[in-house]
Amino acid sequence: MDSGFRILEHPADLGLEVWSPNLTEVFRLAALGLTSIIVDPASVGDRERRNVSIKGTDIENLLVRWLSEILYLYDGEGFLVSDIEIRSLHDSALEAVLNGEKADILNHKFRVDVKAVTYHQLKIVLEKDVWTARVFLDI
Amino acid sequence: MLQKLDEYRYLIPKSFREGMNVEGLIYASPALIKAIENDLTLMQVANVATLPGLVGRSLAMPDAHQGYGFAIGGVAAADLQKGIVSAGGVGFDINCGVRLLRSDFRLDEVKPKLDGLLNQMFRDIPCGTGKKGIVSGLSDAELDHVLKLGAQWAVEKGYGTSEDLAHIEEGGKIPNANPDEVSKRAKERGRDQLGTLGSGNHFVEVQYVSDIFDEDAAQSFGLVIGQIVVLIHTGSRGLGHQVCTDYLEIMQEAMRKYKITIVDRQLACVPIQSPEGQSYLQAMASAANFAFANRQMITHWVRQAFERSLGSGDLKIVYDVCHNIAKEETHQVGGSSRKVLVHRKGATRAFPKHRPEIPPDYNEVGQPVLIPGSMGTCSYVLVGTEKAMEETFGSSCHGAGRAMSRHAAKKDITADELLRDLKEKGIHVRGASKSGLTEEKPGAYKDVSAVVEVVHNAGIARKVAKMVPIGVIKG
Repeated sequence: MDSGFRILEHPADLGLEVWSPNLTEVFRLAALGLTSIIVDPASVGDRERRNVSIKGTDIENLLVRWLSEILYLYDGEGFLVSDIEIRSLHDSALEAVLNGEKADILNHKFRVDVKAVTYHQLKIVLEKDVWTARVFLDI
Repeated sequence: MLQKLDEYRYLIPKSFREGMNVEGLIYASPALIKAIENDLTLMQVANVATLPGLVGRSLAMPDAHQGYGFAIGGVAAADLQKGIVSAGGVGFDINCGVRLLRSDFRLDEVKPKLDGLLNQMFRDIPCGTGKKGIVSGLSDAELDHVLKLGAQWAVEKGYGTSEDLAHIEEGGKIPNANPDEVSKRAKERGRDQLGTLGSGNHFVEVQYVSDIFDEDAAQSFGLVIGQIVVLIHTGSRGLGHQVCTDYLEIMQEAMRKYKITIVDRQLACVPIQSPEGQSYLQAMASAANFAFANRQMITHWVRQAFERSLGSGDLKIVYDVCHNIAKEETHQVGGSSRKVLVHRKGATRAFPKHRPEIPPDYNEVGQPVLIPGSMGTCSYVLVGTEKAMEETFGSSCHGAGRAMSRHAAKKDITADELLRDLKEKGIHVRGASKSGLTEEKPGAYKDVSAVVEVVHNAGIARKVAKMVPIGVIKG
């Protein structure tokens, strides 16, 4: 079964729709999808590793907090993600290892600033053995 | 069912959806209401009407379009004692706003030197994704000063003069700011972004005054036909975005304690007088002050570029308005004076003459209301009216309002074609991102003139002047 993500349209902003039979993969692809909106992922190397641990109040809240973490690491600490290994995802808690490198205006092909991850029409559903997540981003 | 009240007003009755505590009211022409009905705007205005403690109506301006929780172009006032504050009701870009500068130059004086001026501005104003500010690496103590003092901090650091402060909403400093209520993360996001334009719809435009509609008001604002002016549009950058992100989480958790239920998670809210509500308002004020300082610094670089390219950088601030903010104000509601918190999410304060909040030199005309159009179209200066006080908690529209998604905007035009089209119209562009340019093309927005006609004819602001761009700096 395929996994993947696509960009959704919103009158002002952008959304992400991510699907996979594996919920962990949905979380991984959502984070990579977010990064691909900010920067050309092909331009990001993996010189640095970071561990993150996120807790949510429910699975949808966890997705927003997870993506907000990825966004914060870029916008607050200048760390761009190239790949992700999700070590565990259960009970609305997630642990992951992020590979990436420090953002560099000269080496990275930046695309657009993402302001925030929103709760607008947020959903994570399981249908016919495929998890689908939808989340909108404020640009 | 939406009810047409007159040519410019559409009512959303309480029967529109379950749980509405107040009615909704949309300002729009028959043409604009069609665009508004095409997305989720009406439902979002109705959803806002379900929030506890609102007074008057849940409003939407003619530039309204679908947002998150609140519609962009939304106005909602909550009773200061019994009502709620919603972080989503202010939005992620806290105090995103516009500032208008007027010069003593005329169009024919600037035109021959326009490219040099734009190049200088593009060099001096950090813009685009990933670009750090010139004052990056601010210490914690210095950043706290920015959050407390706003534009005054920038002036104290040599970015402009104290004269500037009189012509900024709130004097460029919202007094109840408390940097302790701003998270470390928000400060980290802001630390390197002070004095940066950002990307998306943010811009600096060089424009000329093409039309004057109200001679008296234009004279008070120092505007004449053919005059070169500069419009700056940006906000509180990552700092404000993180404040909203943080408080959406805090409010969602605290709502349970206050037994507030909402129909959309993005509408998370808490009582204004609760500890969480007060914390948010202090953090929001801090972020708003960051935005005032940001626009003040960019103003300084615009002046510097004028000085270098044209020999004089003597540009005066006409006014600086917030588009995303919540303000404590006193309004007449149902015949009595009420203290309320007015959420303006993509809306502009539009106070009439003789209000104590507006600069003394505008006391006899009213507050300037600055309406940026989309890139390459036109912008407007309006003035606040008594009718806005009666109907919209002293609020008006904030711009053109998007009509097309970013993706759709890119489909039928390349950046090079767009740049050529604009150049043919006499508009020179410097942009950090080519793809960003097409996303912001003029056709991606509603017709700003149609929006302005509605607020003018409905009486919630009055046209003063129209400006046409000749140069654009885009992030």
